[in-house]
Amino acid sequence: MRLAFILSEIGSGLRRNLSMVVSVILVTFVSLTFVGAAGMLQMQINQMKGYWYDKVQVAIFLCSEGSTAAGCAGGPVTSEQQESLNTLLESPAVAQYINDFQFESKEEAYKHFKDQFSNSPIVDSVTPDQLPASFRINMKDPQKYEIISETFSSQPGVETVIDQRQLLERLFSVMNGASLVAVSIAGVMIVCAILLIATTIRLSAFSRRRETGIMRLVGASKTVIQLPFILEGVIAAVIGAALASATLWAVSHFFLGEFMSRQYPDTAFISSGQTLILAPALLILGASLAGISSLLTLRRYLRV
Amino acid sequence: MPCRVLRAMIRFENVTKVYDQTTRPALDSVNLEIDRGEFAFLVGASGSGKSTFLRLVLKEDRATSGAVYVAGQNVAKISSWRVPRLRRGIGVVFQDFRLLPQKNVFANVAFAMQVIGKSRSVIRDTVPEVLKTVGLEGKEHRMPHELSGGEQQRVAIARAVVNRPGILLADEPTGNLDPTTSMGIMGVLDKINQNGTTVVMATHDDDIVNEMRKRVVELRNGVVIRDEAKALYTSMIPVVGQSRRLKDASGRENPETGVPGDGREGEAQR
Repeated sequence: MRLAFILSEIGSGLRRNLSMVVSVILVTFVSLTFVGAAGMLQMQINQMKGYWYDKVQVAIFLCSEGSTAAGCAGGPVTSEQQESLNTLLESPAVAQYINDFQFESKEEAYKHFKDQFSNSPIVDSVTPDQLPASFRINMKDPQKYEIISETFSSQPGVETVIDQRQLLERLFSVMNGASLVAVSIAGVMIVCAILLIATTIRLSAFSRRRETGIMRLVGASKTVIQLPFILEGVIAAVIGAALASATLWAVSHFFLGEFMSRQYPDTAFISSGQTLILAPALLILGASLAGISSLLTLRRYLRV
Repeated sequence: MPCRVLRAMIRFENVTKVYDQTTRPALDSVNLEIDRGEFAFLVGASGSGKSTFLRLVLKEDRATSGAVYVAGQNVAKISSWRVPRLRRGIGVVFQDFRLLPQKNVFANVAFAMQVIGKSRSVIRDTVPEVLKTVGLEGKEHRMPHELSGGEQQRVAIARAVVNRPGILLADEPTGNLDPTTSMGIMGVLDKINQNGTTVVMATHDDDIVNEMRKRVVELRNGVVIRDEAKALYTSMIPVVGQSRRLKDASGRENPETGVPGDGREGEAQR
């Protein structure tokens, strides 16, 4: 009975305040879309970092079938060449610059590749043979990359030495900047959303002050009096959050999944499924924003 | 002493209420007891403290000093989450009816039961019964604007008593009504009183008070200046030098003969 009563109160509140409710939905929608966009950018950065990014700085790729680099004239790397490279890495002259290093075989390379490009069709056309084996080096001082490069580039069996960080770092700084902008806009919009929800609840409480006055007099509990107002705000905010989640999903599915991944097949993009991980977070964020701001408003404007 | 407290439905012990430090208190050291089942009029000019008295009973305000007991409970000691339970034991009726305009008669009365979680079947059984008590049989589906003032007030009374409160507070319930209609309302209040509900009614309406011959508590500037059983609106004491002599009278009367004694006497004789 009480539940049915509260639900009917919510319904009448939403109907009476329709234009305000729509504006709450839109403002939470926009603000949470920006929050989600920032989240997506960070997820994309993680996706592009792949398996090695946080662990090593420099990769020495070894010759494989069909390598065209000058150092690979002798065909794929032999186990003797690989052994001597390993010895060189362990020699004091080189070892003083590095923390440690790991060898990544073709099979391991294939496994990591599959993980990183799991959302991309490219994964089906790649075999372990096409991927080079490599030494992955964790530098004591990443700035000393040149030393490693000079020492190893000319070694037999080495295709190329790459400082992967340097390649990606510039891109990541752009993306981090973009997520910072998104977060700032989201912050402003969230403040808007909170103020708008507070105003809406205030209006709603004012337009129903007769009812709440009578409820108070006949001894309705605080919950029965306040819950319809709080849920009004929460429902509007949750609708906004759901719209934001749907928008983010659409962006990742249609823009990243269909368009961008075709334009840049060698880049790993996040999948639309991964974006949905953001949805519960956005829903909870929206609901708690609305809940807290309406609770605080009611404490001031609705005597119980 | 505890037995006294329990018998008294409403008991004010030396209650003072100050809204604003710079002005005189709204209530000034009021001692008063209203017993279970009693019918009492609260009379006095505007600003004499009648509404403050009612607000203190409802715990809408806190007494600045002194203690207010309702049904034996010191309201100052009731925690805020239990205030609703206190208010369920008190029905309130106002001069301006305060009905919900978009709900019909039945829904207005049912509202008071819905919000405290009564089941639909209980509501279906109780509401027509209460409407019958207040004389509104067959008008369940009228809207408030289709009713006369007197009928609207009957709906408000029905709503106030539908949860069977022990106390009914009426703040000038006949203030907007003509004399004949007012007498009808008084009949309803009297009937509710005879069913065992304590009724406290604040009023300016001298005709009604004189007609009913119930206990009259008169307030002036926050002080009880008269408390008589089966009394009239105006005091029998001569007007000349009234205020000084009345203060003497109330000061003497309260501690010695005891206010509720008068009320009980009136009750017993009825």
